[in-house]
Amino acid sequence: MKPRQTTPSASALPPKPRNLFPVWLAALLALLWLIVHDLEISFETLAYGVADMAEYFSRYSKPEFSELSRYLELMKITLATALWGTVFALVVAFFLAPLAARNLAPYPLAYRAARELLNFMRAMPDLLLALIFVAALGLGPLPGVLALGVHTAGFLGKFFAESLERVDKGVYEGVTSTGANFPQIVMYAGWPSIQREALGYVLYIMDRNVRMASVLGMVGAGGIGLALHDTLRMFNYGQSAALIIVILVTILIIDYASAWLRRRLS
Amino acid sequence: MSIISIKSATKRFPNGFEAIKGITADIAAGSFTVILGPSGAGKSTLLRLMNGLETPTGGSIHITGETLGKSNLRKMRSCVGMVFQQFNLVERLSVVTNVLTGRLAHRSWLGSLLYLFRNEDMEIAQEALARVGLTDKAWNRADKLSGGQQQRVGIARALAQRPKVILADEPVASLDPVSSEEIMMLLREICDRDGITVVVNLHQVDLAKRFADRIIGMNSGRVVFDGTPAELSPLTLQTIYKRDEIKDDTNLNLALAYA
Amino acid sequence: MTQISIWRWPTHNGLPPLPAVASVVTVLTAMWLTVSLVEVDVARLVGSLSKMLSFAGNMFVMPDWKYLPQLLVKMLETIEMTFLATAIALFVSLPLGLLAARNATPHVIVYRLVRDLLSLMRAMPELVWALVFVSAVGLGPLPGVMALAFVTVGFMGKFFAESIEVVDHKQVEGVTAHGAGWFQVRIFGMLPQALPDFIGTVMYILDHNLRAATVLGLVGAGGIGYDLVMSMRLFQYDRLLPIAVAIYLVVTLLDRFSDQLRSRIIHGVQAKI
Repeated sequence: MKPRQTTPSASALPPKPRNLFPVWLAALLALLWLIVHDLEISFETLAYGVADMAEYFSRYSKPEFSELSRYLELMKITLATALWGTVFALVVAFFLAPLAARNLAPYPLAYRAARELLNFMRAMPDLLLALIFVAALGLGPLPGVLALGVHTAGFLGKFFAESLERVDKGVYEGVTSTGANFPQIVMYAGWPSIQREALGYVLYIMDRNVRMASVLGMVGAGGIGLALHDTLRMFNYGQSAALIIVILVTILIIDYASAWLRRRLS
Repeated sequence: MSIISIKSATKRFPNGFEAIKGITADIAAGSFTVILGPSGAGKSTLLRLMNGLETPTGGSIHITGETLGKSNLRKMRSCVGMVFQQFNLVERLSVVTNVLTGRLAHRSWLGSLLYLFRNEDMEIAQEALARVGLTDKAWNRADKLSGGQQQRVGIARALAQRPKVILADEPVASLDPVSSEEIMMLLREICDRDGITVVVNLHQVDLAKRFADRIIGMNSGRVVFDGTPAELSPLTLQTIYKRDEIKDDTNLNLALAYA
Repeated sequence: MTQISIWRWPTHNGLPPLPAVASVVTVLTAMWLTVSLVEVDVARLVGSLSKMLSFAGNMFVMPDWKYLPQLLVKMLETIEMTFLATAIALFVSLPLGLLAARNATPHVIVYRLVRDLLSLMRAMPELVWALVFVSAVGLGPLPGVMALAFVTVGFMGKFFAESIEVVDHKQVEGVTAHGAGWFQVRIFGMLPQALPDFIGTVMYILDHNLRAATVLGLVGAGGIGYDLVMSMRLFQYDRLLPIAVAIYLVVTLLDRFSDQLRSRIIHGVQAKI
């Protein structure tokens, strides 16, 4: 029989590092519970509501397309608003983004100012901007264009600036060493290097603007949003269903188109 | 007449590192100078001082007699071309467009922002491409070329500037031996035929010996050798490549093996 | 005699490249055709400038201090809605994302169905869903949370599915080869790989949801939106400025925080402020 041998302690594993994941998870769940409590969300109403909701959603099952041509007109306006807003944003971002890129900006002050301006444009919700522009310009799609343009210029500018910052320093130095000035460096070493990404961002923003444009109508900034608001307020489920379908189909088409375009690019 | 004058230049980086500890040198017009030294010696920094990519914290740089400063940077840079170790081409643009960026300082910039060039610029670019032997690749995208070809585009870009000086920062460090040979011969030929002053950073001793008129040896931010390749003996090589902290310096032995 | 230089582009035929020209022309044509639709009127724009300036002037009045407690309550509500909705969406999109990933789904039909479902969920903006849910469950933050969560699942599910589809095949094979069951392969093989990427997406979505949450109140779905719109409609400028500032501060704070977090994760080092 073999004598029992004790293994040396050198083969024991080092102490397991404390895994804090369960702690974080518990804290998160506790926080969520607090929020539910604070918001006074009652699961009972939700549970009862689920049954109600089935009935509620069935009211949308008979869409009425009697006003279809008007809705399509409105959708056209919405799309046009999104287009103009995106182009506006593109132009503004085109000029601001190079200044907001740390490795390109000619002066640190310009960099800080451009960054802050872009942040500010992003922080204001487009609905608020639309409200302001409607107050100044009156009803119609133009305030919507401006609201979308200003707001998404902030996003586009930030995306562009971050892409420009990721370009290899050497590429910029190559063009700088020939004696090119700031605008030339941006045009020859900056934009061509981020071409693909930049187009992707523009398509993404265009996508987003179509969605937002359909909503801005609710504050009078033109397009289909107001129509939906009215039909829902008057409990006109048939028309609402038709409107929702029009909006849905349009957005899905734009989605597919932009996804296709983005695939073509890569 | 010296075309580049470095007067007591020092360069201290914001993190405290002193890359250049006081260098005075004159580069003669039309000469082929090689700056030799181990990595970290400050060769790159010294070269970049000469076209303003780095500014000296002390001393001054003079090109064709004029002091290099913020106000004349564009003008000075237009007569100093630079070739980089990583080629530094704009990958998405065509070879021709890359070479044309060499003309940017010479042209009124409104048109150039729209990618518009004059016929003379196109001709200069084509001339430069022919000089480096890449005419057939003119319309290809820059990143579709091999390393040696990309470096030749870099040289063509510098040539398109019609420069008085070409600076080359480790131009062959990323290339295979055959391409390295081609590039060094091209640079030497440009110096001989066109009279352009060439200053090259190298860490390969054999290339320095074969191509240079004058070798400046650097170590830890100072010039430790200044003479012809013939004067480069194993002893002088030791001063260039020695590193006090390291006892058994395989780098030194390797360098000496090439000497 | 001065020689006239001919300008040209750096292309073979001297003309600008076709794709660039085509896209610019398409966009400009589309804009040209829709000028009247959008009611672009330069005169109107210029004329409104004075109005906008006077509006801006009006905004800078003494804030209504008595309103501030309610402002804080509403902002807190907005933030809570954002987090709750995002958390709910996170829990729901993890399994849905798995089902919508080509390499993790049990059956192709399931994959197609879930993908299309996610597509529909994110098709419409949150405000539209909020309108619908308010109609269904009444006013308050609940419909807002539902709307936010709904749309977020659409986006998160898609992002997550895409992250799973690009996981390293070899690592999954390794787990499978050790006899892991269907669930285990997905939880131990695929999920750990897809999660790091995902965190950046979650931060971005949180960012987006906070902005969306600030306006849901417009339709009665909770948050600061209602006060925001009412203060505009009732010309209560002493409330409008504090509301705008509060929104700006909260959104910017979250923005900076998520930037920091994302760069920490990407670089793995302490990001400098």
